[in-house]
Amino acid sequence: MKSNSLAVGLGVLGVVFIILAVLYAIGALQLFTSGPGNHYKHAILLAVLAVASFVAANFARPRTV
Amino acid sequence: MGLLQGASELFPVSSLGHAVLVPSLLHWSFKQSDPSFVPFLVLLHLGTATALLVIYRDKWVAIIRGFFTAAFRGQMQNDNERLAMLLLVGTIPAAVLGVFLESRIKTLFASPYEAAGFLVANGVLMLGFEALRRRAERRVAAQAQSRIDQEQHFAHAERISFRAAAIVGACQALAFLPGISRSGVTIGGGLLAGLRHEEAARFSFLLATPVILGAGVLEVPQLFAGGGPLGEYVAAAVLSGIAAYASARFLLGYFRSGRLDPYGWYCIAAGLVSLALLRFSL
Repeated sequence: MKSNSLAVGLGVLGVVFIILAVLYAIGALQLFTSGPGNHYKHAILLAVLAVASFVAANFARPRTV
Repeated sequence: MGLLQGASELFPVSSLGHAVLVPSLLHWSFKQSDPSFVPFLVLLHLGTATALLVIYRDKWVAIIRGFFTAAFRGQMQNDNERLAMLLLVGTIPAAVLGVFLESRIKTLFASPYEAAGFLVANGVLMLGFEALRRRAERRVAAQAQSRIDQEQHFAHAERISFRAAAIVGACQALAFLPGISRSGVTIGGGLLAGLRHEEAARFSFLLATPVILGAGVLEVPQLFAGGGPLGEYVAAAVLSGIAAYASARFLLGYFRSGRLDPYGWYCIAAGLVSLALLRFSL
């Protein structure tokens, strides 16, 4: 399934994951955590999800050739 | 604990359930509610992951190479590239649940009653997976002369769909419940996705490695930061790895023609006996 809009959507999702990863890493986001502080596990996971989203976006991108 | 963990991790009988139940039943001085219990278990799992890395070392090199090649190209052109992407998709559900529900999951480790109950449920699941598989075999492999012929009608791990990989990954997340076997539910999920038993076991073992390694990198530093007998911890992890290596070799041979049923019956029996022993404080 290849389309530009899907690729853009997945790219945007990847950027959202990166922003969330930064917020967890600096301790500004506490959702689903054990308490206040820096949450590096959450940040690493979200960074991995961001990479997965960018990879999926690259797969979804229509080829010109 | 190392031998118990390593031997039971890859068998579809829930190592976590056994790690909670056996110390309680044998009155070992082991507190499952202790903050070091989960990092210690994860360290033992690292022994298992190392054994799996040794068994599949060549495959992992091809998978990692395939991942980067396909990711940059934006296309999958061979089985290793496809398998890399299937493993990525299959790993995400357990990773997300493991991190975001970590504190709630850890509270489940305290109760041997729940572990015994989930062990019975695990047995029922194994029997259910095999019942569904037999129905599929009646449809596609009716003329097969032997079990091995019958298995040839089912697929290799690289051929399953991405939706099926996500479902197998979601099954893997069930294994955070002590008593539900990670390898059992992922092998069962693989069977439902149309894989051969041996291929379902191979996919399960490959799928386990990144999650276990990831958990190890994140959890084990807590164990070493908290002090304790580091030599014993490392010795337990080594024993776990040796037992896991032997288990994996046995299971890959067993699943060429074997089924999940014996493990299903074992889990039901072990869970019920454990419940009875715990109830009557024997």
